Amino acid sequence: MIKFPEHVDVRKRIYQAIFFWLARLISLAIIGILIMILYFIFKRGAGVLSWEFLSTGPKEGMMKGGILPAIVGTGYLVLFSILFAFPIGVLAGIYVNEYAVHGRVKNFIKTMTNNLAGVPSIVFGLFGMALFVNQLGMGASILAGSLTLALLALPLIIRTTEESLKSVDDSFRQASYALGASKLYTIRKVVLPMAFPNIITGLILSIGRVSGETAPILFTVAAYFLPKLPGSLMDQCMALPYHLYVISTSGTNIDQSRPVAYGTAMVLVLIILVVNLLASFARNYFAKKVKTN
Amino acid sequence: MHYKIETKNVHLHYGDFHALKGISTRIPEKSVTALIGPSGCGKSTFLRLFNRMNDLIDGIKITGEVLIDHQNIYKIKSVEVDRLRRNVGMVFQKPNPFPKSIFENVAYGLRVNGITDQKQIQDQVEKTLVQAALWDEVKDKLKKSAFELSGGQQQRLCIARALAIEPSILLMDEPASALDPISTGKIEELIFELKKEYTIVIVTHNMQQASRVSDYTGFFLLGDLVEFDETKIIFTNPKDSKTESYITGRFG
Amino acid sequence: MIHLDAEINELKEKLGAMWELVSTQLDKTLTAMNNFDKDLALEIQENEKRVNAYELNIDKECEDFIALRQPVATDLRFALSTLKINTNLERIADIASGIAEFISDIDQSVNPEIIHHLQAEKMLAISIEMVKDLREAYQYENTQLARTIFQRDKLLDQINDQASHRAIECLDKFADQRRQTLHVLSIVRKIERIGDQSKNIAEEIIFYLDAKVVKHTKKLKELDKEE
Repeated sequence: MIKFPEHVDVRKRIYQAIFFWLARLISLAIIGILIMILYFIFKRGAGVLSWEFLSTGPKEGMMKGGILPAIVGTGYLVLFSILFAFPIGVLAGIYVNEYAVHGRVKNFIKTMTNNLAGVPSIVFGLFGMALFVNQLGMGASILAGSLTLALLALPLIIRTTEESLKSVDDSFRQASYALGASKLYTIRKVVLPMAFPNIITGLILSIGRVSGETAPILFTVAAYFLPKLPGSLMDQCMALPYHLYVISTSGTNIDQSRPVAYGTAMVLVLIILVVNLLASFARNYFAKKVKTN
Repeated sequence: MHYKIETKNVHLHYGDFHALKGISTRIPEKSVTALIGPSGCGKSTFLRLFNRMNDLIDGIKITGEVLIDHQNIYKIKSVEVDRLRRNVGMVFQKPNPFPKSIFENVAYGLRVNGITDQKQIQDQVEKTLVQAALWDEVKDKLKKSAFELSGGQQQRLCIARALAIEPSILLMDEPASALDPISTGKIEELIFELKKEYTIVIVTHNMQQASRVSDYTGFFLLGDLVEFDETKIIFTNPKDSKTESYITGRFG
Repeated sequence: MIHLDAEINELKEKLGAMWELVSTQLDKTLTAMNNFDKDLALEIQENEKRVNAYELNIDKECEDFIALRQPVATDLRFALSTLKINTNLERIADIASGIAEFISDIDQSVNPEIIHHLQAEKMLAISIEMVKDLREAYQYENTQLARTIFQRDKLLDQINDQASHRAIECLDKFADQRRQTLHVLSIVRKIERIGDQSKNIAEEIIFYLDAKVVKHTKKLKELDKEE
């Protein structure tokens, strides 16, 4: 007969409680940090916020006026970079997960994708300048900037697409094949719809990433001050992260333009929060739609 | 007696693994044939010969003949594999209705194969849901998601989905193993009805189910078909001692 | 009704058909005995083969039913009791055939007074009724009817007890019918065994329907009082 040591049960519960509370505190701390960041920025930047701030361009050396061009610029950059990266990324993800059957080819592509994801963003910026701006003669432009940002977003989209497709249970594919469907039809009608909500999540992450990147747009598109809004893809544009950087480090009167910097930061953060929220709704909408078709 | 399916000395290799070792057998039409045997003995692999689902697996090598209605299905053009799969339906172990409405699940096979007439689709969906003994339970909620159904209902939906394209053969890979006893009973009653029209081959690790439901039984062991005979004979007086050991539970 | 019920009914009907055949054999035996009909007696012995064929068939059907359907509860008791009743019925038919053999054997006809004095035809008539009632009890699941068998079997036992004494009386009275008297006595003994077999059948029916085992107990009177 085994004699179980005494107090083991009590000890188990104490350890569990300690761990549980530790985890809880840490989680709260993390939320706390986020709240702190938001508070910090909002407190210092809220004073600057006004309709004028959001709807007009900068005046008097960034000390007065607004950041509309930067908002618009960021908008264009995000739009076009995602326009390039999303379809390519999803298709690549589909190929890797659904068509590349042989282990070696698959692993090779996956390794390469991971490597691409690890490239520092400044290196992307340099590459973008070398290829798009100079070699292909686009000059500093929204086109060049978007393409560079697209390269940044690509590995992220490929990976999340691939994971989303993997999460679709194989028996659904089998059931479809057993009814005489081709691989393509199965992907279109069964696999993609099921993976879509998670793919959208990948999209959200990419949007968030891309809108906040400074280095890739440094040499490829960003301008400190433009008199008017960009009219074509070949124009340069302003961008929020770059604007924030410049205002905080150079410019004519740093102290006076500090509040503008915080205001810009606040706008950037707000945009990302709103995008995340919208995308959350979109994700739920698609998830429901998938169930009933 | 007309034999719907015939195999002649079929060998199957997964890479180096010899999964099926010279299987020769004949499966009569409009009856239920059960394939029993311990896990990993090849019965599911054997089942998947008949709709060429094994084609999807890398590194598979198949020799011998597999005949359906006297035609070798491994000698047909790849374009005709879809037609084969229209003729041979399959139901899987875990119910796997598509994340679509109940109606669209059953209609899927029709749409895949080019049927566009809405009325025809509606009629066929109703007809097969009736056949699968599910119509009364779902007729008022055809647009609802298939996931809202219980496990047993989902499996009957999968059966309806397979029947919608009017196969003549129905392959069932442990169709009731994920279900509770009452749902299992309903599926078995359904099989009794269906065998009047369809040739059914069912893989099961539940011997009692095999004895209840089938007319013929094949016992697989390590890739060999040890014995194939009328279910009555297999379960009252099998000819091979290995068969007897297995069904009396004295195995291993 | 599920598939199992259909199979149970099939088995019941098959046993019913055998029962019909056995009842007919008994009816013919009574007629043959009363009329000293040797042709009929031969016919009865010939038909015995058919009864045996039924028995083998039903045996196999029960075996298959148990192996393939794994019945439990009432269904299992049904299968087991049908198996046993099958044997009992075959034995009853066998006994009838045996009686027919006796009739074939005798060279001259029996004095009907002997048959009457030993109450042979009364006994046979009672057992014919018992077998018919048992069939109805099995078919229509009527335990009450099954229970009425026990009393009648007792009656058969009584007649059998008296038979020795009455046989001696016949031997004295009908000196030229000594062989016949002994034959009739043997017939009486055989009919008593029909009673025993019928009692077994009744017990099986009660077991099947009520799950009560009534064999080998002396509490029949208490059970009879329950009804």
